[in-house]
Amino acid sequence: MSLSVTMRAPRIDPDRPPPGPFRPEFWRSPLRSPRLTALLGLILLIGLPVVAITGLLSNDAYQPGLGGNALGRHTGGPLDLYLFGWPTAPSWLYALTQGLHVTLGLALFPVVLTKLWSVIPRLFEWPPVRSPAHALERLTLALLVGSALFEFVTGILNIQYWYAFKFDFPQAHYYGAWVFIGALLAHIPLKFGTMRRSLRAREEVMAVTGGHSLLSPNPAPVTMSRRALLTAVGGASVILLAQGIGQSVGGRVRGLAFLLPRGRTRPGPLGFPVNKTWVSSGLKLAAVGDDWRLTVSGRRSVNFTRAQLLALPQHTHELPIACVEGWSTTQAWTGVRVRDLAALAGVRGAATVTSISLEDGTYGSATLGHEQVADPRTLLALSVNGQPLPLDHGYPARIISPAIPGVHCTKWIAEMRFTEVSA
Amino acid sequence: MTRLRARYGGGPAHLLASLASLAIAGAAVIGWTQRPRDLENVLIWFGAAIVLHDIVLLPIYSLVDRHTLGRLPVQVAAYVRVPALTSALVLAVVFPTVFGFGARTEHNASGIVEHGYLARWLMLSGILFALSGLAYAVRGRRPG
Repeated sequence: MSLSVTMRAPRIDPDRPPPGPFRPEFWRSPLRSPRLTALLGLILLIGLPVVAITGLLSNDAYQPGLGGNALGRHTGGPLDLYLFGWPTAPSWLYALTQGLHVTLGLALFPVVLTKLWSVIPRLFEWPPVRSPAHALERLTLALLVGSALFEFVTGILNIQYWYAFKFDFPQAHYYGAWVFIGALLAHIPLKFGTMRRSLRAREEVMAVTGGHSLLSPNPAPVTMSRRALLTAVGGASVILLAQGIGQSVGGRVRGLAFLLPRGRTRPGPLGFPVNKTWVSSGLKLAAVGDDWRLTVSGRRSVNFTRAQLLALPQHTHELPIACVEGWSTTQAWTGVRVRDLAALAGVRGAATVTSISLEDGTYGSATLGHEQVADPRTLLALSVNGQPLPLDHGYPARIISPAIPGVHCTKWIAEMRFTEVSA
Repeated sequence: MTRLRARYGGGPAHLLASLASLAIAGAAVIGWTQRPRDLENVLIWFGAAIVLHDIVLLPIYSLVDRHTLGRLPVQVAAYVRVPALTSALVLAVVFPTVFGFGARTEHNASGIVEHGYLARWLMLSGILFALSGLAYAVRGRRPG
């Protein structure tokens, strides 16, 4: 009964679309075709899951279940997956996963834009809704397109320090990713068959036998081939891929990132990239002068001057700082093993450590898991590349640990609190 | 099953997949409500992303293309379109850096004052057009 009422209300004649984009002949590009869309879809089918999975891994690497690492986010919701403790080996693990996330994301954006262009006639298909199934499908497609654009745009702006948005980036990007993953998981099984058929189909045959909604019925003259279009899009992807590789591999190839903020470093052995300068920390020099003390607490509390820390056994390890923005830099860090400090504070067995900076910004404190504390390469670094830590790199002392997100390597450290846990 | 197909217009798998993706989106909204003002801003950006892309940007770039590159003689059109499109797609990603929108934050973070991104992008575009011109010189004028 109610069905017949809703059917009658809007006067939509399924056979007579209104003029403009609702009519197939409005779309004239000879390049659009189901085959082109399927090819772009196949590229995204392979690439986007890698971007999504490395993104989820990044959430795991931040260990949001520990201390204040979630930055105020509740971690008990249905989408707050926190699967496992983050491993410490290989030390370049986070540099790799996050480098892939950002680099592949950059390189796939041109493909996403081209894919959206290739299916735009579908937005205006007539009649707009054929059945409840069709309505639901269009709704999930809106979620897919909206979340894809949202994720790509917020990620791309974030790595370029243009915080044009008023929301909290990690939280918005994380839950947005779930909208995208959910919509993609529905889209893939529904469209996989279409993609396979379209990759095999002969368009000449299709054009004769009733056409296809993505084939223009009156195409404009051809001025560039599909191969030329793919060359152009592929070229942009390769250039952007190089940008990502440059900033994430660093060293000699850093210059490849000549269109991104992290394509250059300052000169000298201490000129490697820094995430937050001393000047922007707002700290006063007096805070890190002779009166500076590090408080280490476990079963007991011990204070150290910098000289006392230097008198403890020193160890050197080549470890990367890998930023969520997709850039990394590997240097030789020297300092005291964090697990030695745990022992001095009377800690027995497995423990996590919360390191607190003199600077109380967003990442003013960070908690490392027991895996990190137990690893002999996790250091309270006092020197880098054979020289005392510069102010920009965290003088008097900073945390460095294999495979963790860079912002968890607390600089200008004031306090370390060990908490014993059952591993 | 036939009744579902007749009324719904699709199979049970279609219904389940669609509902699952809506449920996940619903759970994400719960996540965003942790900061109520965030939720509002996120939803605005979500909607704006679709509208700006599908209804504003895509028609604009299509029209611009039709009335500029679309009028080029057929023999040269592809050789202008390919480098123009590559250059534009790269700019679509790096425009905040090229136009210095994040320059101050970037300086605070890295300690480096960097200019000349616009010149670099222009140079990249120049190289792309030059390569395309070279390709035209080599093959473009050959018949067929």
